[in-house]
Amino acid sequence: MEILIITLSLAAAILVGGMAKQRKNVEIASVAAGIVSFAASISIALRVSASGTYAPSAFFSIDALGAIVILIISCVGLAATAYSVPYLRAETEKHIIGFKRVRQYFMLLNLFIAAMYVAVAASSPVLAWIAIEMTTLSTVFLISFYNKPASMEAAWKYLIINSIGLLLGFFGALLYFTSTNALGDGLVSWQSLLVNASHLDPLIVKIAFIFVLVGYGTKVGLAPMHTWLPDAHSKAPVPVSALLSGVLLNVAFVIILRFKYVTDASIGPAFAQNLLMTLGILSIFIASLIILTQKNYKRLLAYSSVENMGIIALGFGFGGLGVFAAILHMIYHSLLKSALFLSSGTIFLKFSSTKIARIRGVMTALPVTGILFFVGFFAITGAPPFGVFYTKLSILTAGIASHPVIAIAALAFMALVFVGFFQHATAMLFGDKPEEIETGERSVWLIVPPLVLLVIAFGLSLHVPQFMYGLINEIASK
Amino acid sequence: MNLLTTSLLLDIVFLTIIFLNFSRKNVQVAYAYGLQSLAIAAIMFKAYLETGSQPLLMLVVIIVAIKVIAAPIFFVRLVRKHNLAFSVSTYMNIPLSLIVLAALTSLSSSRQLAPLVNLVPANSALLSIAFSGLLLSLFSIVNGKGALSHIIGVLSLENSIVVFALLAGLEQSVGLQLGIIFDIFTWIVVATMLASMIYEHFGSTDVSDMQHLKD
Repeated sequence: MEILIITLSLAAAILVGGMAKQRKNVEIASVAAGIVSFAASISIALRVSASGTYAPSAFFSIDALGAIVILIISCVGLAATAYSVPYLRAETEKHIIGFKRVRQYFMLLNLFIAAMYVAVAASSPVLAWIAIEMTTLSTVFLISFYNKPASMEAAWKYLIINSIGLLLGFFGALLYFTSTNALGDGLVSWQSLLVNASHLDPLIVKIAFIFVLVGYGTKVGLAPMHTWLPDAHSKAPVPVSALLSGVLLNVAFVIILRFKYVTDASIGPAFAQNLLMTLGILSIFIASLIILTQKNYKRLLAYSSVENMGIIALGFGFGGLGVFAAILHMIYHSLLKSALFLSSGTIFLKFSSTKIARIRGVMTALPVTGILFFVGFFAITGAPPFGVFYTKLSILTAGIASHPVIAIAALAFMALVFVGFFQHATAMLFGDKPEEIETGERSVWLIVPPLVLLVIAFGLSLHVPQFMYGLINEIASK
Repeated sequence: MNLLTTSLLLDIVFLTIIFLNFSRKNVQVAYAYGLQSLAIAAIMFKAYLETGSQPLLMLVVIIVAIKVIAAPIFFVRLVRKHNLAFSVSTYMNIPLSLIVLAALTSLSSSRQLAPLVNLVPANSALLSIAFSGLLLSLFSIVNGKGALSHIIGVLSLENSIVVFALLAGLEQSVGLQLGIIFDIFTWIVVATMLASMIYEHFGSTDVSDMQHLKD
């Protein structure tokens, strides 16, 4: 029922976006869909927490992992939609976009969010693949939104690289279906794959998981398949960047994890864990080097996402406590990275540049946004008391006994990321602002969404509600 | 229809993929994709004749409408609109490309990949060709510099996966296949529009000319 409410509300927002003559109606419909979806997502999470997997129809089945990611989609989705309203108004005032583009933006944004819900809630890997492919198609024109050569190039790279990745992932998924040949209507569900995992040929499973990891890993942004990510995330409008970085990467990760469970049930956990560890440490390594020398703050945030996806992969690779910490890390990263992207949008509106060298004195020019960005930077790099400190520590602790070299290397690369981030953030935030830049926030509504995300992240760092704790525990116990 | 017919149709798919790797005329590339899709539709039609499933027949009709008729029309219109009669060059020259294609084709018959092609032992030779089609399509995307060759390479990769699934008995329910076809149709529309926009911005569809993401 809740999934129906979510999809219908988003579909209504898309329709209003297509037909409305007034900007206000498009904005109200989108924000209302976000609020409805958020309420429905909490209801889903409570339901799954209380009575296990929730399957409202043959096409949808939501387990603990799905419930957590649906919560993330709804929370960040609402914040990004709410932020889009003043952000796009500011861009219209600057004559960057007109009403037609605003309508297109909200239609594609709602389609993108709806596709992410379906991908996570789908009971079938093929349905999930269709939805993930739809996330690519709905975001291509959001990445090329500003109609500039660089954004066209980013959109093209995004489309081609992700499409190849998803096709390879689809091929891998099909190989898992060799275990399930008697399924009536032909709808192979995640559950049936899991039940029949023992019938799979071990060599086929290994080949299949490699295809899935490379394919969906491209969408997750794991190195070395990450090359599209910094370009796409830096060229899209910031609310879209927040969703791409904070949500979409996790949605694709969910698919990898679901295939990991099937692989583990067939050939044991070591194979998938080793691959995840390898890609995880490689992602952290590459991101740390590039962050150190980064010149563009949106790309800086994008590479930080590559690093954090690497940390999550490492957590699942180490196993045990690492899995629990990886899920928590996924939640914290989504909230913090989205808050950082949204804050960076306000900085962009003020300074009209994404080059770090051109941004000085943010604390003076934008006192509240400056603080939000500063807090977000400390939180995402793992400074206490934010939860990322705890999750990084737990993941490294989980790995130190079994894989000490990888754990220590990861710690060293994370330290590099902190140094790189610190250097860039202090350069942007402090010092004298350029004289032509006026002091003062543009709108309170540009502050509220990132502030709320940071407050939620901070709250969850101090206390994880019982129902969420139960869901995370259930995922970790798989 | 017998195994020989399937083998013949698969050969058409494979040869069109080889053709995509070497042809420099964009219109011919678009028609080659149409022919490739027609061969796949024929393999599916064979399955319809065996099962008599009406939804399967509907699927074949939709595949013909989208992949055999609509997609080539889209591509030919793109070519004519921007005068893209000849595709841009590839990264590798023809002799080197031939060596890579030969290596990839033999890789699909290697012992390491034996479990894949032996999924259905009776079809192992056909599965080997289908899998090499997948690798060759991938190579055509990596090696090509033109946006259209990227688009058709991706679609050819999808066709190779479809034919592999058909021969390995891994095809999905008609409902899901319709969903996939709808996705592919949307993909074709989006990719063609974006390629057109790229031409308008860069004056060419040579993706190696796109150098604006250096920061």
